[in-house]
Amino acid sequence: MRVAEKLSDNLLDKLSMDFLRNQVLKNAYGNNDTVIAGMDPRMLLVWYLFFGLVPWFVNDIPFLIGCFVLVAVTTKLARVAGLVLFLFVLGVFSQTGYLLLVTLLFGGDASAIQPLLVLTLKVATVSLASVTIFSGLDPDRLANGLMWYGCPERLSFSISYAYRMLPLLMEEFQNVLLSYRLRGNPPAHDTLVGKVRYLIYEIKIIIHAFYPLMLNTAKRSRTTVEVLELKGYRYAAVNKDVKKMKLASLKVGNDDLLFLSLSFLWVAITILVSTLL
Amino acid sequence: MANIIELRNLTYSYPGAQAPTLKDISVDIEQGDFLAIVGNNGCGKSTFCKTLNGLIPHFITGEFSGSVRACGLNTLESDIGTLAQKVGYVYQDFENQIVRPTVLDDASYACLNYALPNYLDRGRKALEQCGLQGKEQDFIWQLSGGQTHLLALAGAVSLEPEVLILDEPIAQLDPMHADKIYGVLRELNEKHGKTIIVIEHHTEYIADYCKHVMLLKDGQVQWTLPTRQALCRVEELQSCNIFPPQVTMAAHRLQRSGALSPTAPLPTTVEEGKAVFAAKPEPVPFPFVPAPCMGGPAVEFSHVEVSYRTVKGAPHQVYRDLNLTIHKGDKIALIGSNGAGKSTLMKLMVGLLKPSQGDIRLNGRSIRSVKAEALSRQVSMVYQNPEDMFIKDSIGKDIAYAMEVRGLADTQQRTQALLKRFHLEALKDRDGRLLSGGQMRRASLAIGIALNPEILLLDEPTANLDIATRKEIMRTLDDVKATTETVVIATHDMQLVCEWAQRIIVLCQGQVVADGPRDQVFGNHKVVQQVGIRPPEIFSMGQALAPHALCYTIDEFLEHFTGRSDTCACGGKAV
Repeated sequence: MRVAEKLSDNLLDKLSMDFLRNQVLKNAYGNNDTVIAGMDPRMLLVWYLFFGLVPWFVNDIPFLIGCFVLVAVTTKLARVAGLVLFLFVLGVFSQTGYLLLVTLLFGGDASAIQPLLVLTLKVATVSLASVTIFSGLDPDRLANGLMWYGCPERLSFSISYAYRMLPLLMEEFQNVLLSYRLRGNPPAHDTLVGKVRYLIYEIKIIIHAFYPLMLNTAKRSRTTVEVLELKGYRYAAVNKDVKKMKLASLKVGNDDLLFLSLSFLWVAITILVSTLL
Repeated sequence: MANIIELRNLTYSYPGAQAPTLKDISVDIEQGDFLAIVGNNGCGKSTFCKTLNGLIPHFITGEFSGSVRACGLNTLESDIGTLAQKVGYVYQDFENQIVRPTVLDDASYACLNYALPNYLDRGRKALEQCGLQGKEQDFIWQLSGGQTHLLALAGAVSLEPEVLILDEPIAQLDPMHADKIYGVLRELNEKHGKTIIVIEHHTEYIADYCKHVMLLKDGQVQWTLPTRQALCRVEELQSCNIFPPQVTMAAHRLQRSGALSPTAPLPTTVEEGKAVFAAKPEPVPFPFVPAPCMGGPAVEFSHVEVSYRTVKGAPHQVYRDLNLTIHKGDKIALIGSNGAGKSTLMKLMVGLLKPSQGDIRLNGRSIRSVKAEALSRQVSMVYQNPEDMFIKDSIGKDIAYAMEVRGLADTQQRTQALLKRFHLEALKDRDGRLLSGGQMRRASLAIGIALNPEILLLDEPTANLDIATRKEIMRTLDDVKATTETVVIATHDMQLVCEWAQRIIVLCQGQVVADGPRDQVFGNHKVVQQVGIRPPEIFSMGQALAPHALCYTIDEFLEHFTGRSDTCACGGKAV
């Protein structure tokens, strides 16, 4: 009982806004010295195109396992933040675990496990490949890579600006929530009924907090809008030279080729193994 | 010298406004000037500056007549992009003008957008000019408030504009960073020949750094004068709610009382003051102020250790082995540079942060396992940013909220009483965010004391306010002082510290480096130097004349000092 209590306290502590903000920042910018972060974003996008699409169309288990192992390694290399991994595990296993439970409940038997395993592997592989790309690369490099492939400048600016704003938004949200906490009067939560009431109270507060959050953010962004105008954001969007200058920093190096060839080699081996089996 | 800015018959009104904000302004600004624009709140200072870089009328529309020429360009005929490269603008709200995640990125962003091929070099150069070299790869949230401000400046400097406009550059900074900003501006002005225009309330900084002063009143330029002459127009400035340097005001009072020749030039800096003031012939002893008797302990920190998570690397440690006792009835000012841990200390007291080591006791009871909600009857905190206090859609409801959810019987009457006490009755149905700076502060104070807490914590209650509004808030704080038992204020505002606090705690790098009444703190040269405290100017003046002098207000100063005999009207050298 004591252990469970401690765990729940710990979980609540982990889920504070401060922690979330920290994890978001860590995820976006905290790992810019990893192997993955140093790669050319264009190459990584090609890589992602393969591991994000192909697993959907292949049902061969050794191949899927091979891909899964590879993306698991790249995820490790990208040093993805703990929260993201936790959400990933929760998402994948709650989905398939629920499916398994439903199958068994409605008269299915153990033979359902294999197709579910295939599904789990597919989802996991694709998710981990996405996690590697989207949290291993810092948003600016990702945006530049997308721009090279012809995505509009506005999209790439939005990506990096969203990451710039997110911590601010979360900080603002945290402050508003703190006001509710400091001035509010939450129901006592010693008993089970109290705990349920407390939960409802918390959810209500979070909903209420959106009103001041939006107004405060709107007030803040007045300056930002003017500054963007002064800093020539509107001019850059239509100027071809600016795009060229931004993309000049992208270079394909030996590491990129090595990474691609290793991935290719690994996939080839898994296909070989699967045909031999 | 040639004029870099020329305005002819400029009249402008905001869309939908009844009366014009700027009325028939014709004025020239010389190239290479360092100009301070002063004026009452709402007299059109920011509006005036926004006409210079074309934001008005291109981005903010409205009724515009007359002409503005900046760097030889007619603002009506040029677009904002062209003008922005000639006239740089730094906003008062510095946090929201940073749009990129890393320092070098932000500093060079404008240059990149205008397709300048050497944009990175320009960014680096600007960072160097603003004293941020070595920070190029840092993320903007790793910077302190002062550094963020410097970065905002670097972002404007990188375009190498001819004219640089700054809206209240030091309103939120500690004195060390304020001096730094003005140092950078002076260098840009003197070495690189830039024309600098600042909107500024702090007349001591104007006296130290600016060449000319322009007074705006009701949308019109009253005059533009050399700084010395301008600051000596004491009565005129005061009628516009601008307070000349304390040294000037003291000399002005001596002049009026006849102790100083009416034609003698008034001093505007401590240096000039040395030639004007002298100690009175029969010295008046400085009164011994006994330390106020202390009540029992209200909050005790013992061996407290706190650290923050950081994005990268080891957690940042704010406090290591902090020991401090706050007594019942204390009126404390908490001072120290940006990032010294003032806000952290307050968050610890309201239970928002828990120490990783050590213990905090509130009225003798440990608050380690007490939730922040449970402490709110005893401790209340008012944030630096009043917007964050407004969680309802009118300030009346905001003030009532905490009482209402606790089901207090006299909520209605108490809300009425608070609205009355803070002069907010007429505004009670307005959204707090839409009020003026001073009104927002008053509202946030009313919210803070709604539950009648024993301990009230105020984070920077006078930051970002012009001097007149600051005086108004000071009066409110005096009122709070009388009714709330224990009050702690974290602030950079040394006049507030000297006039209000009975006990001053100086924080530096997570340590309490001084703790005591004002004489003990300001009289301690070592601490003043180490922490970079800038005492009120009149205090420095007294110290410059007599090292043992400790006077914090103009009244106190005039009790001990008078005009020098050679400048005195009644002395030998009568004019």
